[in-house]
Amino acid sequence: MASRWLQGKTVRKNTPAGSHSRSSSTPQVHSTSSTIFGGGVKDPSGRITEYSSDDDQCPVCKSDKYLEKKLRLLVSSCYHKMCESCIDRLFTLGPAPCPICNKVLRKLAFTPQTFEDLGVEKEIAIRRRIAKEFNKRLEDFSSLREFNDYLEDVEDITFNLINDVDPVGTEARIAAYREANAALTLLNTQREEAYILSLRQAEELERKEKEARAEELRREEEEERQEKESGKREIIERLERADGADAAKVVRRTQRERAEREASRKATAATKDTPHIPFQDDYYAYDDMFVLKHVYVDPSSEAVRKDREGIMRAGGYRVEEAWERAVRSAVAGLNLWPLDSSPGVDAGGDVIMSAA
Amino acid sequence: MDAVEKANTERQKRWVKDQKIGEGTYAVVYRGREASTNRKVAIKKIKVGQFKDGLDMSAIREVKYLRELKHQNVIELLDVFSSKTKLNLVLEFLDSDLEMIIKDRTLVFLPADIKSWMAMTFRGLEFCHRNWILHRDLKPNNLLIASDGQLKIADFGLARDFADPGYKMTCQVITRWYRPPELLFGSRYYSTAVDVWSVGCIFAELMLRTPYLAGESDMDQLKTIFRALGTPTEQDWPGHTKLPDYVPIGQFPKTPLRDLFTAASADTLNLLSQCLVYEPRKRITAKDALNHAYFFALPYPSHPSKLPKCAAQLSAALPLEELDGNTLSSKTNRLKRKLSSPEDAKTRSAVARRLDFTKPTPGS
Repeated sequence: MASRWLQGKTVRKNTPAGSHSRSSSTPQVHSTSSTIFGGGVKDPSGRITEYSSDDDQCPVCKSDKYLEKKLRLLVSSCYHKMCESCIDRLFTLGPAPCPICNKVLRKLAFTPQTFEDLGVEKEIAIRRRIAKEFNKRLEDFSSLREFNDYLEDVEDITFNLINDVDPVGTEARIAAYREANAALTLLNTQREEAYILSLRQAEELERKEKEARAEELRREEEEERQEKESGKREIIERLERADGADAAKVVRRTQRERAEREASRKATAATKDTPHIPFQDDYYAYDDMFVLKHVYVDPSSEAVRKDREGIMRAGGYRVEEAWERAVRSAVAGLNLWPLDSSPGVDAGGDVIMSAA
Repeated sequence: MDAVEKANTERQKRWVKDQKIGEGTYAVVYRGREASTNRKVAIKKIKVGQFKDGLDMSAIREVKYLRELKHQNVIELLDVFSSKTKLNLVLEFLDSDLEMIIKDRTLVFLPADIKSWMAMTFRGLEFCHRNWILHRDLKPNNLLIASDGQLKIADFGLARDFADPGYKMTCQVITRWYRPPELLFGSRYYSTAVDVWSVGCIFAELMLRTPYLAGESDMDQLKTIFRALGTPTEQDWPGHTKLPDYVPIGQFPKTPLRDLFTAASADTLNLLSQCLVYEPRKRITAKDALNHAYFFALPYPSHPSKLPKCAAQLSAALPLEELDGNTLSSKTNRLKRKLSSPEDAKTRSAVARRLDFTKPTPGS
């Protein structure tokens, strides 16, 4: 701050005193309308529905919805409601005590209200917090009994927090648990995240597949339509050409031909996609009849092996491949019998000159 | 007539040349068929250079390597014969290529379709590499599609066998967009990994439906690659700064492939990234790629017969056919009628009918 004064930059008077403002580099004014309050309870689609009623009244300044159409009540972390202008008035200059219960609050900790009953709101927040910490699974226990005891403990703690029974002792219990199970909690959190990710991917895949299927269906329909049209054209054409012949016969024959074509087309469409087979021959079914050595006495490849500059290595050339080629060519087909070929022409179809 | 000539004419008689379907820099391609079975073939007639002595290098390469390769996913060379002074290669007839399919905006690719094409490409490539042949010109244009949907690697005009130690290979190969960085840096000693990079680019192109690394010049190509995949460090690719044509290009950060290929699965991106590894020795081999989890994951690769096909393949042959209309024989005439547009056929057959009403029409 001091350095900024020295630089001669303007710092506005109503800037939050640098305490809880997230952006300390540039002075900002949080006006009533532009402050975005986070939190709130999300529904499955990820939206936050905000609760408001016509009887809303701010318990602090007593202004109500009837006179103040834009009145919006937000909930503090101690579950007391107050209107946006009160929040601005009380907390813009930094943390201040709640006018109702005197707990110290910060402006950004206010959340929109989702449920009419604030108890529900509170319970959801607490359960969410507890679920994050107490995420042991059945697999982490040796017996079902132990797991059930654990669940009961968790429920106890939750109940205490919701109803403010022995808050100090409960917090201490949570802290002790957290310390004892930090590693396992982290592991379970990661597991959960991985599971959610896999679900999302599966969903995505399914969606894509569905799209693809719909696309194919559309394509098929289009083809069928075109086929029908071309069939009609064909009949007309044939009738035109065969001016003398029996019209009914021509039509019948064309239709029969078309049906046959259709059937054959359907047959090809019904051919099932088969799983991928890497190779469709048995080339790799045979064992190599050689073992490649690491190095050979090979004067011709000396240049490549002594390639200090790396001109040859960066291009991807490998002398080992040349060696493999040489060895493979030397022994390939050693145990195969020559093909039986008709005289005069060899298996490849080449004319043997001496016979001609 | 000596024995060789006699054998050649014997050969020549087995094939019938129909109409021209395309022309490349060093060859004219005709549609043809086997005289005995009417099986469709493509006949590639090699132009013999006027000023050079002997045959074009690429023709020799093509014959040399295709003669030895026979695989479901490599184009088959059925026969070779000479006519007067020209060399003719008889190849399997394949009516479309992957580029046409990628460019046909009416087609929709399923992930399973891409998987099927990739599996076929890798199978063909693995077969070449297994036989120590580098293709050195893989691009969608050179991956032809048979009528049953099988993909076949074609155009071995730039292929060569794996070099003996110490022999230099040229770095001026592979169409620029599919050229790996080691070739762009002028490496004269490289390996099968160059083809895998090209396949990686094709893989990306199948997903994007537009060339992935489209540089405008060799320099720009490197920049494009680095912009997409990050500038390699000495650790990523040891020794690359020592390559003959190395120049510092500038530092680009690594961006995850996920940013561009938003819909691809994790397996897909893993295979793609392994094909596009800078260090050629760490780049995945065709054999390992075929055993990659991507191919085993659901959905299964589409059956070749169900792959999207190009509707334009038949009509594409039409305009060319008009060109050589001066070489009409009764045989080609009949064939022409079959292939021309429906309106054309209608008017022609109407005339034909009036002329020989009493006789049975040939071919119907």
